[in-house]
Amino acid sequence: MRRSDSSLGRGGDAPPFASALWRRTPPIAWLAIALVLIGLMLTAVVGPTAAGQATLNGLVGAGYFALGAVGLTLVYGVLRLVNFAHGDMLTFGTYVTLGVTALGVPFWPSAAVGMIVTALLAILLDRVIWEPMRRARTSTLQLFLVATGLALVLRYSVQFFAGSQVRTVGLDTTSSLNFGPWHLGTLQLDVMLVGLATILLTGAGLRYTRLGKEMRAVADNIALAEVTGIDTRRTIRATWLVAGGLAALAGILYAASIGTINPNFGFTILLSLFAAAVLGGIGNAYGALAGGVVIGLSQEWSTLFFNTRWKPAIGFAILILTLLLMPRGIFGRKKARL
Amino acid sequence: MSADFWLGVGVTAGVYGIFVLGLQINVGFTGLLNLGQAGFMGIGAYAMGMLVTNAGWSIWAAMPAAVLIAVAAGLLVGLPSLRLRSDYFAIATIAFAEIVRDTFQNAAFAGGNQGIIGYDQEWRDTASWLLRQLAHIGLGGDTQLPLFIVVWLCFGLCLAGLKFLQASPWGRVLRAIREDEDAAAALGKNVLAYKLQSLAIAAALAAVAGFFLALNVTYLYPSEFDPTFTFLGYAVLVLGGFASYGGVAIGSVLLWSVMEGLRFLHLPLSTGQLGSLRFVLIGLILILLSMLRPQGLLGRKAEMQLR
Amino acid sequence: MSSSKTSADPILVIEGLQKSFGGLRAVAGAGLSVRRGSLTALIGPNGAGKTTLFDLVTGFARPDRGTIRFDGRAIAGLPPHRVARLGLVRTFQLTRVFAAMTVLENMMLAPPGQPGESLLGLMAQGGARRRIEAMVRGRAFALLKHFNLEEKSQDYAGTLSGGQRKLLELARALMTSPQMVLLDEPMAGVNRVLGRRLLDYVEELRRSESVTFLFVEHDMDVVMSRADRVIVMAEGTVIAAGSPDLVRNDPRVIDAYLGRTH
Repeated sequence: MRRSDSSLGRGGDAPPFASALWRRTPPIAWLAIALVLIGLMLTAVVGPTAAGQATLNGLVGAGYFALGAVGLTLVYGVLRLVNFAHGDMLTFGTYVTLGVTALGVPFWPSAAVGMIVTALLAILLDRVIWEPMRRARTSTLQLFLVATGLALVLRYSVQFFAGSQVRTVGLDTTSSLNFGPWHLGTLQLDVMLVGLATILLTGAGLRYTRLGKEMRAVADNIALAEVTGIDTRRTIRATWLVAGGLAALAGILYAASIGTINPNFGFTILLSLFAAAVLGGIGNAYGALAGGVVIGLSQEWSTLFFNTRWKPAIGFAILILTLLLMPRGIFGRKKARL
Repeated sequence: MSADFWLGVGVTAGVYGIFVLGLQINVGFTGLLNLGQAGFMGIGAYAMGMLVTNAGWSIWAAMPAAVLIAVAAGLLVGLPSLRLRSDYFAIATIAFAEIVRDTFQNAAFAGGNQGIIGYDQEWRDTASWLLRQLAHIGLGGDTQLPLFIVVWLCFGLCLAGLKFLQASPWGRVLRAIREDEDAAAALGKNVLAYKLQSLAIAAALAAVAGFFLALNVTYLYPSEFDPTFTFLGYAVLVLGGFASYGGVAIGSVLLWSVMEGLRFLHLPLSTGQLGSLRFVLIGLILILLSMLRPQGLLGRKAEMQLR
Repeated sequence: MSSSKTSADPILVIEGLQKSFGGLRAVAGAGLSVRRGSLTALIGPNGAGKTTLFDLVTGFARPDRGTIRFDGRAIAGLPPHRVARLGLVRTFQLTRVFAAMTVLENMMLAPPGQPGESLLGLMAQGGARRRIEAMVRGRAFALLKHFNLEEKSQDYAGTLSGGQRKLLELARALMTSPQMVLLDEPMAGVNRVLGRRLLDYVEELRRSESVTFLFVEHDMDVVMSRADRVIVMAEGTVIAAGSPDLVRNDPRVIDAYLGRTH
C-alpha cells in the first residue's frame, strides 16, 4: 500500500542556502544589523556629531516607548484586549508621582510609589471592569467603548484634580554632561539608563522567571497554557501589575526627559506605543521592547531631516506602514488568518 | 439662559447628529470600527475653507467639491486598511486621523495653529436673508436660528437617505456583512467593495458635519478635529442605540443637553473643573452603558443577543 | 496520492494540493475529480483535511501548492466571492446563517446580481428592480416550502433550531442557482425525516438541473445508499476513490478508519 509519507512532516527538496540562512537567523539580529546600518548611513550623510547626538537622544526615548509598549502588548497577548486606556495609565502614574513629590518625597522614591499605585489600579480595574466583560464574552466594539470610556475617566479625573495646564516636573533640567562632541542632560542620561536597564530587566524577567514564562505561554495560546496547568487567573493579575507599573514608569521617564507634562500626554503618545507594539508583533513582549527602541531612534533620527514638529508623525507613519506591509510585525508568528 | 443659547446647543447636537449618522452606518450597519471619522470631518472642513479662502471659490461650489475630496480620502484609507482585522483597522483609522490633524497643525498651507478664517461670508449673507424671511413669520431675532434650521433639515435629509439605503437590498448586504462577512463572501458578495462604500458614505457625512461645524464656530483650527470628537460621537451612538438611525438624533440631543445642562447645577467648581467633569461623565456613560446595556438606550436587545 | 479515473466531464479537478498552517500540514498533496451532475461523498476520519480542502476550493484559504480547476477555470487563490460567483457555493460545518436577520432576508440575500444590491442599481429604474425583488421573493418562498420553513420566514434566523439552520443554509445556497454545492456535514443535527427530504430534494436538483454535489458526511448509511461516488481522505491526502462498494472494501480505507465502528 502506498503510504503518503513523503508528503507528511518535512517537505520534499532541501531549501537553497540563502533561504536557510534567512530562516536560521533570528529577527532580532536582522533588526540590530539594520539599525546599525542606518546609523552608519546617517553618519555618512550628516556627520558623526549630528548622527551621534540624534542616536543618543533616540536612546533616551527608547526607554519610555519600550516600557509603555510592553504593557500594551502583554495585555493584548494575554487578554486579547486592545487597551485604549493604556496611555492614560501613563498619565495617571506620572501625576500620582508628581503629587507625592509635592509632599516632599524625593523623585525616584515617589516614582516607585506612582508605579505601585498604578499597578494596583490596573488590578482593580480588571476586577471591576475587565473580568466581568471577559465572562460575558463581549464583542470588540463593546471592549473598545469601555476602554475609551475608561481612558476619558482617567484622563479627565486627573485633569479635574490637577488642572489642564502644562506643569513642570520640578527636576534639574539644565545641567548636562559632555562626551566629546555630544551632550546629554544629566536628567536625560538618568532616564536613558533607567529605561535601558528596565528594558533588560523586563526581558530577563520574561525569559527566566517562571512568571515570565507563564505570561508568554498564556499570550501565545491560552487554552494550551491552561491545559499545562498554568494558573491563568494569576497570570492575568500579574500581567496587569506589570502593565500598570511599567506604564507608570514609562510616563515618569517621559516626563523627566521632556521636563513638562499635561494631562493629555499619555493619550498623545499612545499611538506611538501602538506603533512600537505592532512593529514588534503585537502580543510579543520582546517585540514591544525592540519596537520601542526602533520608534525612539526613528523619531530622533527624523529630526535630522524634518522639523521636530513632525516627530510624532513618524511614529504614526511607521504604524501605518507596518499595518499595511507587515501586520504581523517583525517578531510576529504566522497565523492562519490575520 | 436665552433661547439663542439653546439654539446653539441644538446646532452642536445637529452637527454631531450628521457626524454620527456616518458612524452608525459604519458601526451599526456594517460592523466597521471607524475611529477616524474626525479625520474625514477635518478634511472636508479644511478643503472647503481652503477652496474659499485660498482659491477664491464660492462656498456653494466648495462644499460639494470638499465632499468629493473627503470621499476620496475614505477610499484611499479604506483600500489598504479594510483588509485588516477589525481591531487593526480601528488603529489604522486613528493613525490616519492623527496624521490629518498633525498635518493641519504643522503644514504651512493649512494655516497651522492659526487656522483658517473668512470662508463664511456667503453663508452669513444667506443667514441674514433667512432671518429676514423668518422675521416675517415672527421668528426673527435669534441669530442661531437659520443655522439651526439648516443643520436639522440637512440631518433629516441624510436620515431619510440612509433609511432608504438601509431598507434596500444594498442595505441588506451590509447587514449580512456585519453579521458574518465570510458567509456573505461565500454567497458571492464582494465584501471589500461594500465596506469601502460604507466608509465613503461615512466620510461624506463627516465632511458635511464639518461644514456646519466650520460655519458655527466661524474659524477652523486643528484641534477641533481631534479624536475626542470621534469619542463623543461614539457616546452618542451608545446612548441612542446601535443600528437605529433615529436613535442618533435622540442620542445627540440627549448628550448635549446633559453636557450643557451641567452648567445650571451651579456646582462649586471652576469652569476648567466643570469641563473635566463633563468628560468624566461621558466616560462613565460609555463604560456603564457598554457593560450593562450594550444595545444602547434605544436599541433592541434581541438583536444584540442573537450575535 | 491517487488520481482517480477522470470520467466524462469532471466539473472539479484538484491536483497536488498542499496547505500547511504553521508546522501542521493540513492538506498534503491531495488530488481528486468530481463528475458533473454527480452526488459525490467525501469521507475520512477527523483531521483528514476535508474541511481545509473545502476552504481551499472555495477561496477561504490559499493553497501553498497545487491546482484547482472548476468548470475548466483555474480558481486556486481566488477570493471567496469570486468563486461563489462562478457557481461554486458551500455550506459550513458549524452553520452560518445570519442570526439577526429574518429567514426570508437570509434567502433573499443569496441570488447574485440583484440590481438593488449596488448603489448604482438603486439609483436606476425602480420598476424593474421591484419586479426582480418580487421574483426573488417568490423563489425564496418556494424553496422555503420545500424545506418546511415557510412559516418561519419572518422569524430571526437565530431562533431556529440547529437542524432548521442547516436546512436554511442549504436553501440559501440553492438560491444562488449554483452549478456545484459543497456541503459540509449536511446531515449533522437534522432529524431523519427532514434529512431524507433534504436528500430527496438534492437528488431531484441533480436530475433536473444537473447541479453537482460534493458532501462531507460521517453517516455511512447515507453515504453508501445515496452517493454515486465516494472519495476517501486521510492525513491530508486522498487514499481512495470509486463507487461506494469499491471503497468500502478497500483495505486502505479500512486501515484509515481502524477502530471506527460505524
